[in-house]
Amino acid sequence: MMSSVPASDKKMKLLVYSIEECPVCGQKTKRAFQVGDYITKDGGKCTKCRNTTRVSLVYAESSKPSG
Amino acid sequence: MEDGLFSITSVQLQVPADVNTILYVVFFMGLIVFQFAFGTRIQVYFALNDIGRGLTKLKIMKDKSRKEAIDYLVNVGKSPNDPTQRVDQFLDYVTIMPVGIDPQGLVNKIDHVVTTNNERVRSEVTALVGQGQNNPVTVSISENLLEVATSLNIIHKVVRHYYLLGKKTNSYFTLIQLQMLMPMIIQESDALLNAVDSFKVGQPVGDGIGPVVVSKLMVGKEKRVIAKDTVIATTEYKGRTLHVLKADGPMAYVGQPGVAIKKVIEEMGVKPSAIIMIDAALKLEGEKTGEIAEGVGAAIGGIGVEKFQIEDVATKNKVPLYAILVKQSILEAITVMRKEIAEASEKVTQVLQRVIEEKTKEGDEVVVAGIGNTLGVAQ
Ligand SMILES: [Zn+2]
Repeated sequence: MMSSVPASDKKMKLLVYSIEECPVCGQKTKRAFQVGDYITKDGGKCTKCRNTTRVSLVYAESSKPSG
Repeated sequence: MEDGLFSITSVQLQVPADVNTILYVVFFMGLIVFQFAFGTRIQVYFALNDIGRGLTKLKIMKDKSRKEAIDYLVNVGKSPNDPTQRVDQFLDYVTIMPVGIDPQGLVNKIDHVVTTNNERVRSEVTALVGQGQNNPVTVSISENLLEVATSLNIIHKVVRHYYLLGKKTNSYFTLIQLQMLMPMIIQESDALLNAVDSFKVGQPVGDGIGPVVVSKLMVGKEKRVIAKDTVIATTEYKGRTLHVLKADGPMAYVGQPGVAIKKVIEEMGVKPSAIIMIDAALKLEGEKTGEIAEGVGAAIGGIGVEKFQIEDVATKNKVPLYAILVKQSILEAITVMRKEIAEASEKVTQVLQRVIEEKTKEGDEVVVAGIGNTLGVAQ
């Protein structure tokens, strides 16, 4: 008989990032997600052209599993 | 030949049967009889053990999701008094589906029951959260957390029911079936529990890929509410007028895309030459996350009411339905959006543009709907 309870999936640590994109020059900055972030929310000033950036994506990446 | 065989058996029969051989034979005979008499009982014993362990896991998950919901209501929602009792009542609330023996008009009846329930949930949750009431995001997240807790509560209850029933009646087949389903049940429950972490902090989930794509078309445009929790904006692409709709973000809403599309066509008098729906789709094991699939038909999950409404209005008005799907697992769909899914959004936009160019002409009107939970995705 097979075992019913699956070996719990290796818990991979997920790091969540917000991507701020400048609507004028298209420059993208990746920073850690902060509570309250949402897509289309105004971000900081663009480092290139000083326009207000917008959060364009929020996603999770798995950190390199350390052992 | 026959003669040879005969001689071999007779030779064997002539071997003197010593005590060891007799014991050997008796032992194996006994084993076979034992296997016949007690085999299923042993399997039942193992099945019970296995299911019992899974059940404990489910109980831990259920309790955790309940506690998370209560903590959220207290800490973020600033619930004025202890919500524990109300939450427990909420978890046991039942929705009775309409009878199906007279299918005429069944969808409307289901719609009615579901809408009543949704309104009940919204008003109850609004009452449960205190100061958080003024923030629709907090209310919507509370709704989702309570929904997760309710689902886990039901799963635990049903599994426990069959476990105890199987135990009581010593029913081999009930237990074996349950044992076979357990890994899938645990996996799905685990996904639900994991969803809590992303919901609590308002992170977009994988299911929100449709809204993500569509929000890019809506940003900076004038938006208006077209159905409950659903917004629409009008934009243009290569001479086509696009009516773009999604649930109202960044709240954890799924909206009513069915009602919305119906209103666009029947009330706004739009004659679209295509309805394009973008949604997350469950991938099969072995398929890659973030893969894009194209198709025809109404790309929307759920109980079927919205799907019916969209198919109905599309059929009546002879509007072709196109679907763009982003593949993901159930876990990925309800937890924070993975990079592969988020990065598919650009490709989906390209596919969308190609579909619009191929299937419509300049001057045409097109309805584009981003389907899915729009938590963390405004417009
Ligand atoms: Zn810039």
